[in-house]
Amino acid sequence: MQSEVCKFETATSQPFLQEVMERSGQNLLACYQCRRCAAGCPVGDMTGVTPDRLIRMVLLGERDAAINNLLVWQCVACYTCGTRCPNSIQTARITETLKHMSKESLVEPLTPKVAFFHDAFSKSVSHFGRLSELEFMGLYEMKNTASEIKRGRWKAILDEIMNQTKLGLSMIKKRRLHFGSEKIRGLSEVKSLYRKAKGRGI
Amino acid sequence: MELAYYPGCSLHASSELYDIQNKLVFRELGMELRDIDDWNCCGASSAGKTNDFLAVALPARNLGIVDASGLSDLVIPCSACYSRMLVSQKRLIDDPELKSRINAELAKKVEGRIKILSILEALVPKAHSGEIAEKTKIKLSGLKPACYYGCLLTRFPSDVAVPDDVENPQGMEVVCRALGAEPIEWSYKTDCCGASAVVNDADTSLTLMSKIMKDALARGANCFVATCPMCQMNLDAYQDKAGETFGIKEKLPVYFITELLGVAIGVSPKQMQVDRHFIDAMGLLKELKLI
Repeated sequence: MQSEVCKFETATSQPFLQEVMERSGQNLLACYQCRRCAAGCPVGDMTGVTPDRLIRMVLLGERDAAINNLLVWQCVACYTCGTRCPNSIQTARITETLKHMSKESLVEPLTPKVAFFHDAFSKSVSHFGRLSELEFMGLYEMKNTASEIKRGRWKAILDEIMNQTKLGLSMIKKRRLHFGSEKIRGLSEVKSLYRKAKGRGI
Repeated sequence: MELAYYPGCSLHASSELYDIQNKLVFRELGMELRDIDDWNCCGASSAGKTNDFLAVALPARNLGIVDASGLSDLVIPCSACYSRMLVSQKRLIDDPELKSRINAELAKKVEGRIKILSILEALVPKAHSGEIAEKTKIKLSGLKPACYYGCLLTRFPSDVAVPDDVENPQGMEVVCRALGAEPIEWSYKTDCCGASAVVNDADTSLTLMSKIMKDALARGANCFVATCPMCQMNLDAYQDKAGETFGIKEKLPVYFITELLGVAIGVSPKQMQVDRHFIDAMGLLKELKLI
């Protein structure tokens, strides 16, 4: 990563830090950069940015850097960092919060597939009250394919079709693919929870 | 003894066999699992990643249903569901204002007084009391499982009581030993297998899985055993691909904990649908003359 001169201004940095702390429920000011989180992070060597670095970015008010890095999108939410943190800072809550903030500010995610996946899951649950695995995967693949076409990544599309077909066939063989969906009686309750959730955090 | 039971979406779809096994095996152990009425999806890891309100509100509806059922203990086999329910209940207790905002939309209001149990928390006392060993008809000699816990059985995004050692949990080993199996000691039992990333970020997921496989094999395991259907599905369905990518030739069947319990206490593998695994799970049991 290219290093830049840090331009720290309390007035511009504070609001971002406050927002992340409030929405994630994590006290980032307690971080003293011991890097136990970094040592335990299973994706840190792939993302370059480790939890301690991410916290530092937020503390310095580096909004763009904090939202646009691979850790935010490739964090597997294993909660190892937060479990080992001597100050109980759960960085997975921060990566979740930054995903929400990225979506709200309409920034295109660094790895769009991750966002498509979770959006598709959530959408499918809103239709039936339970997850329909087939609809979920259908919604995800539609979004993903549209995005790959836009970017002209034809090989990626072909690979995806091959992989998913292979998995689908072996699932059919093992009778693990279900075509039906289960709609709950209390779907209206779930729908009203979705309406209440729209556009806001907690 | 009757326990409320939340199967979760995957046990009504791709991991249906686990649902069948749980019902059969718990009944043999004198525990009746009663499905909670009209349950909804807990939101799993996706709710947390898309909306903080839903991550609490979706589990809350289920907790309200259990509160109204009169049962006090809720068993949840899937680690993702288990984690979401525990965290949601904690949030509701800590934040009465949020609780009333959610309750305004619910037919059965959530109170938040349910005891939430993972499948292990329900089984381990039966192992300690000697009941499981007593019911064991076929000792699982020669079975050397790598007990795999994954992330969400012992690590939580908020401060809830952790039921086992965080870094080196023992519940599954306790149950396996009661069955006469010889669980191995290994270092990756709580490492993430990348289940939630396998579709959308396969490189990350397969890298994580390969580390788990390599350690299990190096320590002499001849199978995995898991409690979470997400981990099980990932290790089972994508083991081929991880092996191919990282040059690992051996394959290990991935059993559910209740599957091994069932074999030992004499439930038929056919009834438990052991033939529905991606990596053949019948072969090893036959080879060891356990079925």
